[in-house]
Amino acid sequence: MKRGGIRISMQVLLMVVFAAMLAVGCAKKPAATTAAGEDQAGAMQTAQGVEEMGAGETGVGESMIGDESAMSTPQAVSSLERIYFNYDRYDLSPEAQAILVNNANYLKTNSDLKVRIEGYCDERGSDEYNLALGERRALATQKYLESMGIAADRLSVISYGEEMPLDPAQTEAAFAMNRRAEFKVMP
Amino acid sequence: MRRLVTLLFALLCLSATAAMAQIEVRAPGQQSIAVANTELLPLSGLPLPAVARELREVVSHDLDMSGLFRQLDPASFLDDARRPGLTSTQVDFNQWSLLGTEILIKGGYRMQGGRLLVEFRLYDVVHRRLLTGRSYSGTQEDVRTMAHKFVDQILKSVTGKEGPFSSRIAYIDNRTGHKELYLMDSDGANSLRLTDHRSIVLNPDFSPNGREVTFTSYRPGNPDLYRKDLGTGQEARLSSQKGLNISARYRPDGREIALTQSGSGNPELMLLGTDGSKRRRLTNHWGIDVDPSWSPAGDRIVFVSDRQGNPHLFVMDLLSGQTRRISGNGKYYATPAWSPEGDRIAFTRQEGSVFDIYTIKPDGTDERRLTFGPGNKEHPRWSPDARFLVYSSDQHGGRGIYIMRADGTGIQRISSSGGQSQHPAWSRQR
Repeated sequence: MKRGGIRISMQVLLMVVFAAMLAVGCAKKPAATTAAGEDQAGAMQTAQGVEEMGAGETGVGESMIGDESAMSTPQAVSSLERIYFNYDRYDLSPEAQAILVNNANYLKTNSDLKVRIEGYCDERGSDEYNLALGERRALATQKYLESMGIAADRLSVISYGEEMPLDPAQTEAAFAMNRRAEFKVMP
Repeated sequence: MRRLVTLLFALLCLSATAAMAQIEVRAPGQQSIAVANTELLPLSGLPLPAVARELREVVSHDLDMSGLFRQLDPASFLDDARRPGLTSTQVDFNQWSLLGTEILIKGGYRMQGGRLLVEFRLYDVVHRRLLTGRSYSGTQEDVRTMAHKFVDQILKSVTGKEGPFSSRIAYIDNRTGHKELYLMDSDGANSLRLTDHRSIVLNPDFSPNGREVTFTSYRPGNPDLYRKDLGTGQEARLSSQKGLNISARYRPDGREIALTQSGSGNPELMLLGTDGSKRRRLTNHWGIDVDPSWSPAGDRIVFVSDRQGNPHLFVMDLLSGQTRRISGNGKYYATPAWSPEGDRIAFTRQEGSVFDIYTIKPDGTDERRLTFGPGNKEHPRWSPDARFLVYSSDQHGGRGIYIMRADGTGIQRISSSGGQSQHPAWSRQR
């Protein structure tokens, strides 16, 4: 039940985002402007990527302060929920961070569990690049959980790239479902 | 495109001059040489019509694919096509001249002690002489290979450069429910499954001598690099670093393997010995570095990196370590493949939401688009003679393996339906 609810809200969110992107896209009709825009987006993404891999992680720090209070009233989470990513990105959205807070709490409650974080991509892009991207998604997730106090030796990562889509359809909604990190309890 | 055609024309003319000044060779796709492809005749014993038909069909298919020939209608052949005389004094060249034939394929076959013996001859009708002759012996299962081998020789006679038709293509297919490694002929026939990992097998590459294939498999619970000996079937795990061990490519001298490993925490290009021993690290950058492909001399590598934001193509000089971007203003480049002739690099580039195949010079100039229309065309790899590209495409629904000429003409699906096929690699030798 819960998963269905999340899926629907994800789709609604995506439709809104997609509509917004379309509107932006229409506004920027001239090809030259679009190209420049893309280059800039690329450069910004790069900068974010560097921070992501660095030790500082200002974004992560911010949400941790917010979660101090959340931890005193831990939410009841019955399982480890998957998180989703934006296209060609491996930074954690606020929604993903919120889910990871719950997952971290679950892991603290179930302190004997060892978990493998699996990174996945949508089918667009090259298979090999997506294997690397999936690994980055899994590593970003691992790093966040470690920052929440989960011992590193309880967490491992693997990337499946675009090999195992949740939804094989070639739609924006399916692509969004497939850009994810999942958590598998290891024996 | 025009310039490529002209260039090929010039190259072909040059090599043709060396091999055989008499026949003028134009660009592939212009179907210029008039060839009579006769059905082989029984030299002794009973006729084997199925064998003769298959030999002729395979030769005909390969001649078409080369784009160099115009095949004459067999219905127009006169009685010399049914006469077994195979020496240049026995062939009635007048008959073939009448039909406008420039080159003539004749031959015969016989069974000898359970073996099939096949003789092929290629004649220059204009100058009434034998250009090349080959005899093959094997079982009836080898018929297609014999025909492919002879067309490889026909191309050598006519252009100076051997054809690729007897070489084979490795690829990945999921028809068993798992992605496994397969091997097939250059026309898609005789497909054969090589692995039984029941996991995910990806991205094969042939050793330069054609006897081994490397691939990545998830069977051990991690994407590790394997090598399979095609003769013995034996498999060995070459690289099992934590994380990725992917997109491995043999150096053209066969002595080293470049691949992406992420054991250091970041996907980097590494150099391994063929036994899997670590030689050296090629990249040291926070970006994603994948998909290496070697220059024919083995002194440079083209690869994909997102170090400047989006995935772009970079060429690294291995001696100096100097690396420079060669891709232009597109936003997503993937899977470069350096031509065995060295002059071009094939790659895919995403425009809109679709990947198409392009080529570019190694210095980053002269980008040309080869494929068009709907569907993604991915993972281009060169034939050993650089005349063709093999790639995967979902343009007709379901991913299949396709080949085309290096100028983008002659597109043909070669993999059978029933599975999703991808990641082709063309062997350098049979």
